[in-house]
Formats: sequence, structure tokens, C-alpha cells
Amino acid sequence: MNNKVSRLNPKNTGQATTSEFDEEVARWESETRGPYVAAHPERREEFLTQALKWPINPLYTPADLEALGFDYKEDVGFPGEYPYTRGTGPNGHRSGFWTMTQVTGFGSGQSWSKRARYMLDQGLSGLILEYDLATTNGYDSDDPMVEGEVGRAGMALDSLEDLEEAFDLPFDQLKYLMSVCNAPQPVNLAMIIAALEKKGVDPKDFVLHIVNGILIEYTCVGRYIYPPEHGLRLATDCIEYIINNHPNWAPISIISAQLQPAKANPVQEIAFSLAIACAYIDATLERGFDIDTVAPYFHFVVNVDMDFFEGICKLRAFRKCWARLMRDRYGATKPEAMKIRMMTSPTTTALTLQQPLNNIGRLAIMATACSLGGAGENMTTPLHDEAHSLPAEEAIRVGAALQHIVAHETGVAETIDPLAGSYYVESLTKQMENAAFEEMDKIFDMGGALKAIETGYFQRALGREQYERNRDIEEGRRLWVGVNHLKLDEEKREISIFRLNDDMESEQVAKVRDLRARRDQALVDSTLEQVREAARNGSNMMESCLAAVKAYATHGEICYAMRDVFGEYGSDSQLGGI
Amino acid sequence: MSNAHQRPLRILLAKLGMDTHTVGITIIAHALREAGMEVIFTGLKQTPEMVAAAAIQEDVDVVGISTLSAGHTRNLPKLARLLREAGAGDKLLLAGGVIPEEDRPLLEEAGVDRTFTMGSDTRDIVAYLNEWWVQQLAADA
Repeated sequence: MNNKVSRLNPKNTGQATTSEFDEEVARWESETRGPYVAAHPERREEFLTQALKWPINPLYTPADLEALGFDYKEDVGFPGEYPYTRGTGPNGHRSGFWTMTQVTGFGSGQSWSKRARYMLDQGLSGLILEYDLATTNGYDSDDPMVEGEVGRAGMALDSLEDLEEAFDLPFDQLKYLMSVCNAPQPVNLAMIIAALEKKGVDPKDFVLHIVNGILIEYTCVGRYIYPPEHGLRLATDCIEYIINNHPNWAPISIISAQLQPAKANPVQEIAFSLAIACAYIDATLERGFDIDTVAPYFHFVVNVDMDFFEGICKLRAFRKCWARLMRDRYGATKPEAMKIRMMTSPTTTALTLQQPLNNIGRLAIMATACSLGGAGENMTTPLHDEAHSLPAEEAIRVGAALQHIVAHETGVAETIDPLAGSYYVESLTKQMENAAFEEMDKIFDMGGALKAIETGYFQRALGREQYERNRDIEEGRRLWVGVNHLKLDEEKREISIFRLNDDMESEQVAKVRDLRARRDQALVDSTLEQVREAARNGSNMMESCLAAVKAYATHGEICYAMRDVFGEYGSDSQLGGI
Repeated sequence: MSNAHQRPLRILLAKLGMDTHTVGITIIAHALREAGMEVIFTGLKQTPEMVAAAAIQEDVDVVGISTLSAGHTRNLPKLARLLREAGAGDKLLLAGGVIPEEDRPLLEEAGVDRTFTMGSDTRDIVAYLNEWWVQQLAADA
């Protein structure tokens, strides 16, 4: 990676450029800066960006842009126009700010509905529904594999009955629901559709957003069930079903924000995310759609880390790379297909358990970077005490205030893309774009994202980054306040660990067993056979999954019916990283 | 362990249950391997039974469990018991990740030899294992 980068940055290779600035820069070096540095040595041997570890020059001038072949019209253009570097909207944040949201943890099981009502009463109109690890890994609550996991990381979902209870909600207030259940996605989608039907909710009047992000699960999150090719097929089934039946819904998000905590650097984040998007796009196009129809359905969630300029340039390069990819690789013609849809967020991995109030400063800086990078349609902020416990009320208030401080007090949102034209920002943006396309070419050459997952390429690349960046901290190349710099010796740290509630688990187990005893078993068996048949014959899984959930086949039973056909993926998809 | 002095330390790293947070275990695996140890990884979503069987099958000296999802008060004592029952109680059993201070006595009593919580320096873990290995060699000599 470093070789390529230095090739892209002629300043590091001594390659001559024709710029008149070169002579001037050389003169300044020898007459002004050189003598000064001789007397005042630099505070570090090399200055590098935090994640990419790219050399940072002492000064950027028009010569740097010229050396990179920077062209204002081609590389930056105008807001709301190709290549969208300056934003997908034509007026930045001047007509309206990004939508300010907060991800809030939920209780589990039957308590979800109560919590959801409370949040709707606070004026929210959208919710995120997360499930426990039993559900997301395709097991019922009474499966021996998931003892102790039930209802912990989210809601336990065993059958349509659980969702009927959870959806005891005022749907005149609830207009948007995001559901995160990647590996069993068609089962989850079918359950939600069936539950909405039972509640009499008009699907046109409501947006269901499924993350449907199985390929990132294989790469770094780990909640997968079936081999990757089948995972991709199930995801594509859901995309196809939603485009055909509920065109106002959102069938897929690429959560680049999961690659970032797994220590993908910005170039890997852009390249892996877009290569993964291409795998879904290619599979969807094979179902007979055209790119101008499919592309606008893709949505990205992108984190920003503490290196201010890496973060800002990553967001600018992300927009540009998507636009270029849609136009040049797929021949998209409609602007809507070339405009990336994005939610941005400060990353939680920059926050420290030590001296938690320092995290407010970090969050403010990262939220400012998100805004300067264009923010996307939404920005969500984590909370400064997240490493300690479930968020306290004060932390929720501070988190909400942060975005308002950035929006109303700093002035960064008053003009469109205010950092455009900065010699450093444009150099870094273009270098990231170039490097991301080189990395994407490498992935496409090996057969695309699916192959990169199956061969462990993504996982190995992330494993190396994880180890090296941890070493940067242990060996003091990167100073992190509270961790390896300005440490407080006597700091008392309280970690509050969620304690298992054994009652909840045994109640959920009893509930699913009771359901199995009283439903129409013959109907369940025949619908599960339909699921197996659809899995075998390659038709869209949604119809058979809908039949099975409506017969009250359980989530785990439907997942097992698909295991019968697809098999299970080895437990070591992430082993590549080790 | 008779010819321990002729070979590097062998360690099995594992994750129990549905906890798939792998950054910590990946960093540890790289650091131990770089320090010359033989590292074996079980894969994700393992039960205590699977890990105990793998530890015996692979004839490792050390078993290291990474846990970040609060299942440690159940599955670590179970793993320690299974190892003892299989006559493998002499293997060093380590735990790392998110483990609250107040759970340590319970784990130690159950047979976990040492815990390293989040933020532990990998160099300290390597030093601890090297020291233990030197003692094993001395005991065997």
C-alpha cells in the first residue's frame, strides 16, 4: 500500500513536476524553512495520517494538486452534480440540516414495545429494532447453542407471535423502522410483513429499512449461518422482493461503519464497501433489473475517526467513488443512481473508558468532521459514557446537544463544502480515490467481494491492520489521551456489565415450546418443506418464508430448513484475520 | 510435556458462545505468534465441550478464551471443569476481554489461572506466558 501511495504522491519520490510553484517551494525550503528546522528539529521523525499512515508533507501548495493531475471540474465539480464530491444535494446544509438521530439501546423481549412507545412519545418517528444473538444466528430461544444469550443483545424473536406483541405500537406515529437481522433476512422480512398485515398497517404509509448486510457479517461481524454464496442469494431475494412489492422501502445498507471498528483504513473502507455493494448489485442485475432502478436503493453508513482530515476526505472520496463506479462500471445514466445515500457518525472506537468526559471533546471534533465532509442525509452520535454503561440521561442530552452545537454555533454548515480547494484536503481526497480504485481493481481481479470473503482476503487485511494499529498505541507512535498519554494512575473505573436475567430466558423458552404444542403441526411441516423446496430450486425465498411464518413455524425452524439445503458455513470465516 | 524444552509453547485461542467480537483475539494471536508461540484458533461459536476437546486433540499447553459478552461466569467454569475431568487440568487456562473485577474470585476458584482485561498490553501477556513456559521447562528438566 505504501509503495502505491508514494507513487501517487510525487512529493515523496522526488519526481519533478513542471509547476512554477516547485521552484518557489524549493526556494522557501532552502531559505526559510530549512534553516529553521535545522535549529528547531521536528517533534517527530515522520508525520503520518492515523489509519492510512500516509506521509503528511509540511506544506501543501498548488504544486501538489498539479502533480496529482487535479482538475476542478473533473475532480470536484459543483454541489448536486457529478461527481458529487461537494455533496449530493445542491445547497449543502443551507436549506436544512442533516437529520439528527441517536441510536439508543433497547431492552429485550416483550419490553421492546414499551420502550418503543416511550421513544415515540419523545417525538421520534423512527426506530431501530435489534435482535439477540440467538435470533441473528438463526436459533430459537430453546436451542442448546444459545443458552445464556436470549434477549440480551436485543429482542428475542422466535415466532410471529413475538412480533405481534412488539408491534403493539401507534403506527400513526411510527413511520420508519430499521431491522437488523442479516443472516436470516428473508425470515425476518417475512415476519415483519406478516406482523404489519395483522396490524392492518398500510405498507405504503411506512418505511421498513432492512440492513440486509450479510457480506460484512462474513468479513468482520460474525453473525452468519450459511456459506457466502447462499448468503448473497438470500440477500438478493430480499432486495428483489422489496423492489417489486414495496418500492418505497429500503432493502439494503452497506455498513462501512462496521468495517471501521474492525480497523479497515479509509481506503479499505471505501474499496471493501463498494466492492461488497457491487456483489449485491451484480446479483440484483442478474434478476433483470437495470442499474438506474437498482442503484438508488443502496444506502451506506460511514463512521468518522479522530484523524480530522482522513475523516473529511473519506466522506468526499466515498461520494466521488460511488458516482464514478455507477457511471463507468455500470453505465448508470440517471443522477439518482450516481448520488450516494449516506448516514454518518462519529466512531465509538475513538472513545475511551478512561476519563470519559474527554469523549465529549472527541465527539464534538468528529461530528464537526462529519459535517465538513457533507454529513449525508443523517448523522447519528454515540454517547460519551457508552464504554461504561447504558447511557445516562445526561449523556443522551449532551449527545443531542453536540449536533446542535456543530450545526448552529460553529458556522461550518453555512457554506457548501467549505474545505474544497484546500491543497491538503483535495490532495488527500484524490489520493484516497485513486488508492480505493486500485484496491477495488485488485478485488475485482480476484473475482469480486464474494471471492475476497471466501479466500479470507478481507479478513487477513483487517487482521493485519488490527495488530499494527494496536502496536502503534502500545509502542507510543500514536498518543491517545487517557490510554497511553496523560494517564491518571489512580483512576477508578467502573464497568457496568449487563447481568443475565435468567427469568426472561426461561419465560421465552417456555413461550416458544408452548407455541409448538398448540399450532397446526401438519401445516408447519408442509410450509417448511416449501422452504426447503424453494431453497433447492432457486426461486425467491420470500413466498415460502411468508407461508411458514404465517403458519407459526418458528424463526429457528425456518433457518434450520434452509440449513438442510445450504449447509452451515464454517465457524472460522474470520479466521483469515488470525 | 516431556520434551517441552524442544518446542515452542502451543496455545489454543477460542471464543465461546455467540460472542463474535474478534479484534482482541486477533491482536493477541498476532502478538503471540510474533513472539514465537504456536497459535491455534478454534473458530467462532464454540461450546465449552468443543473447546475442551480441541485443547486435548491439539495437545496444547495453554488455553486462552476471549470473552466480551458477559457469558464468562457460566462458560469459563464449565470449560475448566471439562478440562479437569478429561485429565487436562494441568493446561494453563487464561481469560481475556471484558471481565469485571468482582467476577475474578469466582473464575479463579473455578480454575481460571489468570485474567487479562481489555486494554492489557500484549507485551505483558507475552512476558507472562514466557515466564510460565520457562518454569515449565525448569520443572521438566
